[in-house]
Amino acid sequence: MKYDAIVVGAGHNGLTSAAFLARAGLKVLVVEKNDYVGGAAVSRELTPGWTYSNCSYVCSLLRPEIIRALELPRYGLQVIPYESGATFSSGGDYFNYSADHDQLRRELMRLDPAEADNYDRFARAVMKQCRFIKPLLLRTAPDPASLRPRDLAELLYIGKRFHGLGERDMAETVRFWTMSIAEYLDQYLTNDLVKAHIAGAGIIGTGLGPYSPGTAYVLLHHYMGEVDGAIGAWGFARGGMGAITRAMADSFRASGGEIRAGSGLDRFLVTNGRVTGVALENGDEFHADTVISGMDVRRTFTEHADEADLPADFVRGVKRYRFRGSSGKLNIALDGMPDFTAAPKGARFLRGDLHFLDGMEEIERAYDDWKEGRWSASPYVDFLIPTQIDPTMAPPGKHYATIFVQYAPYELADGPWDDARREAFARTVIDKVTRHAPNFADLIVHKEVRSPADIEREVGLSEGNIFQGELTFDQLLFNRPVPGYAQYRSPIKGLYMCGSSTHPGGGVMGAPGANAAREVLRDLGRKIDLGAAA
Amino acid sequence: MSAAKNLRQPMAMGVVPGPFHDRIAPLNHRQGWMNWMGIAAPTVLDTVEFEYFAIRNQATVFDISPMMKYRISGPDAETVVNRLVTRDIRKVGPGRVTYAIWCDEDGNVVDDGTIFRFADGTFRLCCQEPQMAWLMDVAHGFDVSLADESADVAGLAVQGPTSCAVLKDMGLAGVEAMKPFDIREFRVKSKPVTVSRTGFTGDLGYELWMAPDDALTIWDHLMAAGHLRGVKVIGYEALEMARIEAGFLLPRVDFVSSQTHLRPGRARNPYELGLDRLVHLDKPHFNGRRALQRLSQTRPARKLVTLEISRDKPAHHAYVYHRGKKEVGFVTSALWSPTLKRNIAYAWVDAPYCFDGKDLSVEIYLQRELVWQRRMARAQIVDRGLFANPRRTATPPSDY
Amino acid sequence: MTWDAIVIGAGHNGLIAAARLGQAGKRVLVLEAREAPGGLMAARGGMTVAMLPTALNADVARALDLHRHGLSYGAPVATLALGAGGAVRISGREASGAGKAVAVAYGALHDRLTRQAAALGRMLMKTPPRLRDGGAGDLIALARMGLGIRLLGKDEMRDLLRILLSNIWDVLNDEIGDGPLAAALAMEATLGGAMGPRSPGTVLPLLYRMAGRGRLRALGGPDAVIAALVRAVGAGGGAIRTGAEVARILVGEDDRAGGVRLTTGEEIRAPLILSNAHPRRTLNDLLGVAHLDAEDARRARLMASTGMVARLDFALSGAPVADGGMAIPSGERLIVAGNMAALETAFNAAKYKEIPDRPVLECTYEAGRGLLSVNAQFVPCEVKGGWTDKARATLEGNVRAVLAGAMPGFQAMIAGVETLTPADIEARFGLPGGHWHHGEFRVDQMLMMRPFGGAAQYRMPVAGLYLCGAGAHPGGDITGVPGWNAAGQALKDGRAAK
Repeated sequence: MKYDAIVVGAGHNGLTSAAFLARAGLKVLVVEKNDYVGGAAVSRELTPGWTYSNCSYVCSLLRPEIIRALELPRYGLQVIPYESGATFSSGGDYFNYSADHDQLRRELMRLDPAEADNYDRFARAVMKQCRFIKPLLLRTAPDPASLRPRDLAELLYIGKRFHGLGERDMAETVRFWTMSIAEYLDQYLTNDLVKAHIAGAGIIGTGLGPYSPGTAYVLLHHYMGEVDGAIGAWGFARGGMGAITRAMADSFRASGGEIRAGSGLDRFLVTNGRVTGVALENGDEFHADTVISGMDVRRTFTEHADEADLPADFVRGVKRYRFRGSSGKLNIALDGMPDFTAAPKGARFLRGDLHFLDGMEEIERAYDDWKEGRWSASPYVDFLIPTQIDPTMAPPGKHYATIFVQYAPYELADGPWDDARREAFARTVIDKVTRHAPNFADLIVHKEVRSPADIEREVGLSEGNIFQGELTFDQLLFNRPVPGYAQYRSPIKGLYMCGSSTHPGGGVMGAPGANAAREVLRDLGRKIDLGAAA
Repeated sequence: MSAAKNLRQPMAMGVVPGPFHDRIAPLNHRQGWMNWMGIAAPTVLDTVEFEYFAIRNQATVFDISPMMKYRISGPDAETVVNRLVTRDIRKVGPGRVTYAIWCDEDGNVVDDGTIFRFADGTFRLCCQEPQMAWLMDVAHGFDVSLADESADVAGLAVQGPTSCAVLKDMGLAGVEAMKPFDIREFRVKSKPVTVSRTGFTGDLGYELWMAPDDALTIWDHLMAAGHLRGVKVIGYEALEMARIEAGFLLPRVDFVSSQTHLRPGRARNPYELGLDRLVHLDKPHFNGRRALQRLSQTRPARKLVTLEISRDKPAHHAYVYHRGKKEVGFVTSALWSPTLKRNIAYAWVDAPYCFDGKDLSVEIYLQRELVWQRRMARAQIVDRGLFANPRRTATPPSDY
Repeated sequence: MTWDAIVIGAGHNGLIAAARLGQAGKRVLVLEAREAPGGLMAARGGMTVAMLPTALNADVARALDLHRHGLSYGAPVATLALGAGGAVRISGREASGAGKAVAVAYGALHDRLTRQAAALGRMLMKTPPRLRDGGAGDLIALARMGLGIRLLGKDEMRDLLRILLSNIWDVLNDEIGDGPLAAALAMEATLGGAMGPRSPGTVLPLLYRMAGRGRLRALGGPDAVIAALVRAVGAGGGAIRTGAEVARILVGEDDRAGGVRLTTGEEIRAPLILSNAHPRRTLNDLLGVAHLDAEDARRARLMASTGMVARLDFALSGAPVADGGMAIPSGERLIVAGNMAALETAFNAAKYKEIPDRPVLECTYEAGRGLLSVNAQFVPCEVKGGWTDKARATLEGNVRAVLAGAMPGFQAMIAGVETLTPADIEARFGLPGGHWHHGEFRVDQMLMMRPFGGAAQYRMPVAGLYLCGAGAHPGGDITGVPGWNAAGQALKDGRAAK
């Protein structure tokens, strides 16, 4: 069976790539190891009546250009924003973040009379950085070592944009890209609770602490998302994150695409340095001159390709590429809505992201624990109950809680991630929540606990890194995943990369998938159709 | 710093009521409200025309409590205020108010507002946009205390030709002796009221400042006193008309603060805004002075000019053209002035067209029964502040 | 007496700036608050903060003819990294005692980093170009830097752009693995700053330290360097007044710096002022915020400058011997850290304003004086609970325990100890955060952003005032380049004004 292109992995980036190629008229096959599509953007029913967003759990980064071009709303995708959140301190106070600017100002002034102004200044500074970076997301990063006109033109484009910021904002941009989130926030804000609330966005998913230089930039990865043009807004995909990939898969199929789920890749078929197709674990072989891997760079090349087909510098780069899984996840079915001691009954901010935290030092200490191979006794959690907004994920009156945990080591210092340790990990997290919502533990009907090792095993993300590799500067832009190979093409002719291991990186953004499709089509002498959005 | 105490509304989204809300709401027959710094403010209570003519004909009352108010006090207060603003505050004595602007390091305008000097070392800054972070930066290293008293001070603008008479009837003995920009302390029903002879209308007018707890008492007293003279509560839209006639600028409308803009190159300096007279380069160092020194020696790249436009339709959102072809600017504020019977607008016009002002026209769009019509109207640069009436400055003012 | 220029602070950069101005015929007065010139290199009670002057820029030394003024140079200092049961000796690209494979990998890494550092180093002697609004000269300088990096060739250029903002932890683990050798290199990358080896941005300081083409090791230690610089100032007709503490930089009606006022009230006039003080102290204290726009005052206030090095001097009654029996050689540089993980653990404590249980140490032993001088990091400037006697005792005890672990019998040899915490350094030298380098050396505070954006190129916001200390480009260590460049910029501006 011969296809024009085969995509390996039905995660959001693989499906995005596949859908764009199918729309361009190519005959495309997607192969997927699990018997469900979605990768880490998936909704699953593990206990009757409840739907979990098992891995990724909130949506904002998915590029609107992609939503439009692939007509995802037509295939059922709806993103509903949540407008607030809160960080509870151990002393019984809380900071209630609100997307409503006036309400936010009042809340900030309650905590500190000058904090509202401070926050506005901070928000503008971040907004300027978002404005700078956003146009770069759906572009291929230039190779600074190349003299090809296209790379030079792209470098010039970035240089011009940078130059256009003005001298002081250029310096600000350098600061933003290199500073720690803690220091960056200290420049603007004074209240520990407010800073701690924001700081989470600088460390979620990374193997860095809030005091580590380079984490201010990660903030951007969580802030540059948008829901209907409101920058920094987050939302729930109605029906869980699987709704995104379901819509992508349907859009892809509607363009004539084909998906085969249930058997993983055994190896890429390569002849004379050129890819000719894929062989699956079940023995099936499919042929195509173009193969695109949505898997991370380590899986793609160390598990499924022959090192002999790859240049030594590339192999070195792949082996060096850092994952450092640092996140765990709990999905919990609840018999009812937990009562948070500090929050007024029915408070609207409970519908958003909740954290239990006194300050930045607590997060940094959790990071130090992670470096030593253990989870913190007081981990950082990103806690949401989407069923307050989304009626589809639990029976009426019941709720679903998603708890993202930072930091959880991929390898524990004292032994493997077995059931006992998984349970102990879950207990630590549940106890922490229960300190703020006393009836929480009693409401639990069912739970799923995912360590980084579990995420790796089930979803295929190496070391459980949610971004398919760390978002440090040595792995961003033209360095992602390997310098000299940052333009979605691998050293094997016809084999491309489209996962989050490539620029611009992780988050359910779809940009790597779309960018890879553009490069594939360019090599075929065609153009990607981003539709009216482009 | 007790500004927050009146603001804690943990569950509330959107606007909250101001100190006069209980009185204004029943009068707001149109139920027209706007969001002014998170507080519900009336736009129009019955008709704009009626409210506008009340400003120019009788006495009007407008709630200015949502203005930002900051107290600057302490041994270095004068130094800090003088470091903040571009004009020489040393020339403003105690008991006086002045209009001022302040600039960033590039000489671009941060905001404008009024500075009240209550005593040697006690000032109040009154402005549209939040300034606490900026004030803290400017005051850093000086012996001064800063307090955001926005929520602790309620304000009423009493404006119009009979405003002095109304205040006299209210029992403010001697208010007629106040000169423009004077400040005086009074008591109304034993409640302290600070009165300044200031306003946004270019007409005779006063502003009354009081504690929020006293706000309703004083309101009732003012209304009772003004009843026979037809004192009229007005909304924002009528005031906006008077503002444009009087030649005042509004941040976010006519210019963008250098602290709030996101796009490079959108900030504006005093020379571009035509506020040269407010920049005193001969005083000791103040924020932006070195940049302003340089800017004062070069010709601005554009200017905010006042245009008088032929025909009678206000040129809202219009482009400005040179010789009907070349786009050279755009309108920020526009008004058909009912008193002056002139069609006026503020517009940003590029150099050199902003200097000679020849051959300018504006493009006005009109929708007539669903059909859009485009009209080019001739425009001429005129001096700002077209409404100038001697009663604004006459002391003592006449009773009507 | 009238002066053409006043230099505030007789640290090495101040003296070098004064000497260069003197060469150009300017009459220069150097004012030093303390009783002797030398700044952090000055001996006081037998103790200098900067103990190993091994980085003096060869071009500066030549231009000032320091050899004629009595300075001589020795072979580059070797580093001994003490580990469990032995030492690795590092000299240039050689690492003996590290095992063959590691030594080979180290040699290759050293060569590559040296080439990459040299490509960056082209920038070093120059005034950094402005990113924007500068003239054609600045554009050419930027283009030259780009070209320098390009000339490395594709692979090394890519590698440089990859590691430039990376952490030393990853680079060394990738190339040579953790151990005493990696610890010594990581120490080089983090010394004086507030970043642990895992902190992104720690490769840059290492490249900076490798970039100084011709870094000279002065014989005779800090005293000899200062003595030669004092003579160089004198040779140019300059004068040095010690015990003269500047309280204010005076600004005239014309908004130009026109002199200084001492703490005694005495006023001295000169049309040109160069400050060797920390940027924050220069601007916010000496010049005063009243002469600054609020934005610059804020930048000076917020610039990162948290020192994490304590200085300890141990007087010894005998000759120390390393674990394994090797006598500690005199005049060499010792690293007592074990491995990079130990650096990171020590840094962890400092993050929370705590004294690390096991600080990591850079030491030098002088047999002649029976003195072991120690730089201990990471020791926070501000300690939870304050620098009480108990806190100081904890620090000394922890340092002694680490030394005793590497040199059996060390405890019994101690005849006396003197300690300078970062807080002491801050107080004694007027150095915010006790930071050696007058501000953290990292990418957002280097080149055209040092000390901060808009105030680079040595010119301060008030005309006639220049920054000539380590807070200016290219930064810290005893290179002398900031002082040399600042004087050059002042002379150039003076010629342009005529």
